[in-house]
Formats: sequence, C-alpha cells, structure tokens
Amino acid sequence: MRRGDVIELAGETLRIHRLRTGLTLSAIAIGVTAVLLLTALGDAAKGYVVQEFAGVGTNLVIVLPGKVETSGGMPAFGGTTRDLTLEDCDAVKRQSPSVRDVAPFSLGSGPIEYGERSRDTRVIGTTAPFLGIRKLTIASGQFLPPGDPRQGDPVVVLGQKVAHELFQDENPLGKLVRVAQWRFRVIGVLGSKGTSVGIDYDDLIIVPVSVGMRMFNQTGLFRIMVEATSPQAVPVALEQVRSVLIIRHDDDEDFTLITQDAMLKTFSSVFDALTAGLAGIAAISLAVAGIGIMNVMLVSVSERTGEVGLLKALGAKRKQILDVFLVEAMMLSTAGAVVGVIAGVVIILIAAAIWPFIPLHPSIAWIALVITLAIVAGVSFGLMPARRAARLDAAEALRGRH
Amino acid sequence: MSAASADVRSATDQAIIRLDHVSRVYQVGESEVRALDDVSLAIPPGEFAAIMGPSGSGKSTMLNVLGCLDTPTSGRYILDGESVENLSEDQLADVRQRKIGFIFQSYHLVGRMTAARNVELPLIFAGVEPRERRDRVRAAIESVGLAKRITHRPDQLSGGERQRVAIARALVMEPRILLADEPTGNLDTRSGEEIVALLERVNAQGLTLVLVTHDPRVAQHARRVLRMRDGQIVPE
Repeated sequence: MRRGDVIELAGETLRIHRLRTGLTLSAIAIGVTAVLLLTALGDAAKGYVVQEFAGVGTNLVIVLPGKVETSGGMPAFGGTTRDLTLEDCDAVKRQSPSVRDVAPFSLGSGPIEYGERSRDTRVIGTTAPFLGIRKLTIASGQFLPPGDPRQGDPVVVLGQKVAHELFQDENPLGKLVRVAQWRFRVIGVLGSKGTSVGIDYDDLIIVPVSVGMRMFNQTGLFRIMVEATSPQAVPVALEQVRSVLIIRHDDDEDFTLITQDAMLKTFSSVFDALTAGLAGIAAISLAVAGIGIMNVMLVSVSERTGEVGLLKALGAKRKQILDVFLVEAMMLSTAGAVVGVIAGVVIILIAAAIWPFIPLHPSIAWIALVITLAIVAGVSFGLMPARRAARLDAAEALRGRH
Repeated sequence: MSAASADVRSATDQAIIRLDHVSRVYQVGESEVRALDDVSLAIPPGEFAAIMGPSGSGKSTMLNVLGCLDTPTSGRYILDGESVENLSEDQLADVRQRKIGFIFQSYHLVGRMTAARNVELPLIFAGVEPRERRDRVRAAIESVGLAKRITHRPDQLSGGERQRVAIARALVMEPRILLADEPTGNLDTRSGEEIVALLERVNAQGLTLVLVTHDPRVAQHARRVLRMRDGQIVPE
C-alpha cells in the first residue's frame, strides 16, 4: 500500500467529520498554545533579569578587598588584608591583555550643599573609564576628565535626582557646591539610569577617586571594576587579573573576584526551573487533548466497524488498517499542533508589541519540542483505538457486530 | 478401482473449491454449535451454485469459510489448488485479495466515497499504481453499465445501482470466484432481476459464482442448488 494512499484515506475521514475534527483539533491547539505562551513567559522573565544585569555590563569583573572563604584551623601566614590601591588598578590595566579598561571605585557618604539646600547622598570616587564600564550617560556637561587618577581637580558630576533637588530649574553647570566641607565645581549631570543592581544612580554624586579617598580618609578602594575585551574573554581576563594582583600582594590572594557571569548563571538556573515548571503545567492540557484524540478515534473505530470489516474482506492486512487509523490520529494532532503554534506565535508577537519592555519572543526550540510532543501524543493515544480496529474479526465486523 | 470413482477423483482434482469433511464448531456458553457439520463439497471452475436453506442452517458460516473470512475447526479446504485451512489472518487476507470477490446484501459501500473511489478501494490496499487504478476502475464500472454514475456517491444512487457498484468493486481485482450473500435481498423485483442477469453474464465469462439466497426465483438461475439444513448439505 502506498504511503500517499494511507494519508489520503485518513484525511478523507477527517474532512467528512468537520465538527468533530475541528473540536479535537482545537483541544490540541489550545494545549500547544498554552505550552508556548507559558514557556515564552518564563523565558521572558529570565530575559528581563539578564537584561537588567547586562545594564551593568556583561564583560565585568569586580575586585573586592579580602578573601571570602571558609577554612579550617589557623592560617599559616597572617590573615592581613592588603588594600586595593590605585597602583593595583594601573597594574591590572597595563599587564592584562584581555582587559579593556579599569576603574577604581571608592564609596563614602555625606551632605552636599548648595545655597540654602542640603542633601545627604552617596559619594563615589572614580575615574573617567567608569562612565563606559557602568554604561552611564551624561545629560549635560561632561564626565570626569581623563588623566592621572592620583591627581584630580575638585569637580563633581551629579546624579539626576541630586541635581534636581539642589538646583530645581537652575542650571547646575559651573556652580560651586560643598560636599562634606570640601568645595567642588559641578561639571556635569548624569542621564537617568535608575536603580541598577542595588545602586540608585540618580541619587549620588561622582568625584575624582583621589579626592574621594582623601575626603573620607580612605587608604584602600571599595572595589575595582574591570572590563574584559568581550564577554568571551571574561574567564581569561579573570585569571590575568588574579595573577597580577597575587604578585602585587606578595603571593597572597587576599581579594575576591566576582564576575557577572557567575551571578547570571545562578539567576538563569532559577528561571530555567521556573520555565520548566510552567511547561509541565501546560503539558497537562496537552495530555488532556491526547485523551480527546483517543476518545474521537474510539468513536471513529466503532462507527466504522462495518467499513473495517469490508476492507478486511477486500484483502486489507492488519498493519494496513492500523496505519490508516494511526495516520488519522497523527494528522489530527499534527494539524492541532500547527494551529496551536500559529496562535501561540501570533499572541506572543502581539503581546511583545504591546509591552515592548518584556523580552517576549517565540522560541524555535520550544516550538520544535511542542510539535514533536503533539505528534507523539497523537501516535500513542491513537495506538489503542487503531489496534482495536486492526484486530476486528472481519466476518463479525461485516455483520455490524464487534 | 472402478472407472466411476476415478471419474469422481478427476472431477474433484479440478475443482476450484473443495471442502473435505469440513466442520465449524462454535462454543456458545456450555454448548457446542456445529454450524458446519462434516461437509464435503467440490465446485468446478465456472460453476454457478446457489446455496439455500432456512436461517441457522449454516449458510452464512459456509459463505464465511468459502470466503476465507473464517477457518474450519476441522477438515480441509482447498481453494484454487491452495490449501487455506491453516493460514494466518494476513495470509487469508492475501488469498481474499487475489482470488475472491464479495457481494453483500447491504452493498457495504463507503458512504463518503464516490462510486469510483469505492471500486478503487481493493486496488489501493493491493498497492496498485494510481494510473493503472484509474483505468481498471473505469473498465470495471463500464462493465456493470454505470459509466455515467462514476462520480456519484452511494446516497445519490438507486439500490440496483449501488449493487452494481459493489459488483464492479468485486470484479476489479479479477478474482477467481465471486461470493454473493443475498445480493438481491434489498432490491425490488426488477432491479433484482437485472442484478441476477449481470451476475449470470459475469459467470458466463468463466467466473465461478456462489450465491446464498432465500429467493427460489434467483436460485433457479443457478446450474446447481445446494440445500443446507443443520450444518449439512442435504442430498438432492
């Protein structure tokens, strides 16, 4: 028997029973759409978080002073922690080929005053590369000028909120402000960034790192921000930074390196689990649809008992009868899957157009998986009814008994 | 060995249908029903035989066994030189496909298919190429005089026309024997006569024809009438 004939015979039945075919098909389509929508939602949640982190820069390696570790017994050599210094910054920049840029980072807080107004705020001390590394923007004026980090004029860049609170509608550029009793000239205002990984970039001010450290009497840096040449270069950059700093710190790894990647991986795995959970829930509706297929096929077989008897009398083999019914179930589930995929993709695209900030997009992998799943469901749920048809006794089936 | 018995042997050797002591026993609850009880029968090629008898006499079982839809509980059945009593279900299907055409009282046409498609069915399951199928379907439908009804569905045809489609379907595989179960049972007298005439014409071309009927007017066309009672053929 030719394959095309099997498909044609199976299709004829589906065409005749339009309503029944349509209903079963929709059940499968709804299941498939549910899987696609829920997994897209899970992926979108993950994408949203990844996007947030990417705002910090995925090429980023952060150096913290002190080693975070758990160890037993007494340390063999003294547990003193050396400060991270501007010299460390320079060395990392000069000696690590996979590092594009380095910015020191000091942190303090104090009141900033202009005229009658005053506001407590965070004071970040850093250098020019910080702007690019943290992906900040300048709304007006300029950022810290490049130059020797150990030098530094008393200039300040204000966050959006600080600038607004202190100056209202006045232009802050060129004005003198007082921060913790130090006098600064305002040279720029940051573009709005909002809160990124716990720091509100609208409610802070940025000063040259040497000035910042002097203001707060600091000998070491709070962090060193290192940007690798590319996301792929992060592991290499990490090792380069580590070895440069270990040598500078007398063979002692008294600092901690954090990569964006490590944080992202943790979040990713949490969201992958969430997506899988959602997919599992949606798969239940697919299983229900599969039982629908079985039901329809059982009805179809019992209605067509006489026909099966006839086909057997005409010489149809068991396998041929089985194939015709199985292909019918498969066509039903495949058509349902295709309709469901189209509906799912359309809904996802519409939702993505309405809420552009949610990274919703149809996933090829999920589409492929769900189509495979639907076909497998069609075959496995169609198998029992098809077997029943194939095993009918020809003589009794012809008499309309079964 | 007498000349007469040698004669009988050569007649049975040539037979297209030969039953040797065939019994078909059904188990109904505790009791046994001997639907066929030690039947021996030889039908030569080209014969037109009618099987008659009251309900429950074993006619249907006889037809099922002859049509390889059922197998004997004991005894031998040799169809066209091939012993079929021990064949598997699929092997029997193969024998039916190659050698037997069926005609039923209720036609057994598939309602959603056109006349042509119905006639095409056996060819489809035999794996015949579509082009060859088209020609053979056309020839079979023309041979029963329904060329103009080829695209009609059964519900657009009269009873007599439906039975003609069924006969075309039975002939399209060019079988060795034609088995008809009350072929005129659902038809009015005139259509019935036309169908019998058509079957006689087919038989005249050499096809062996065995039909089951209640109707003596149909049976009188047969060259040989087998009367059954209680699972046995009553001697004439």
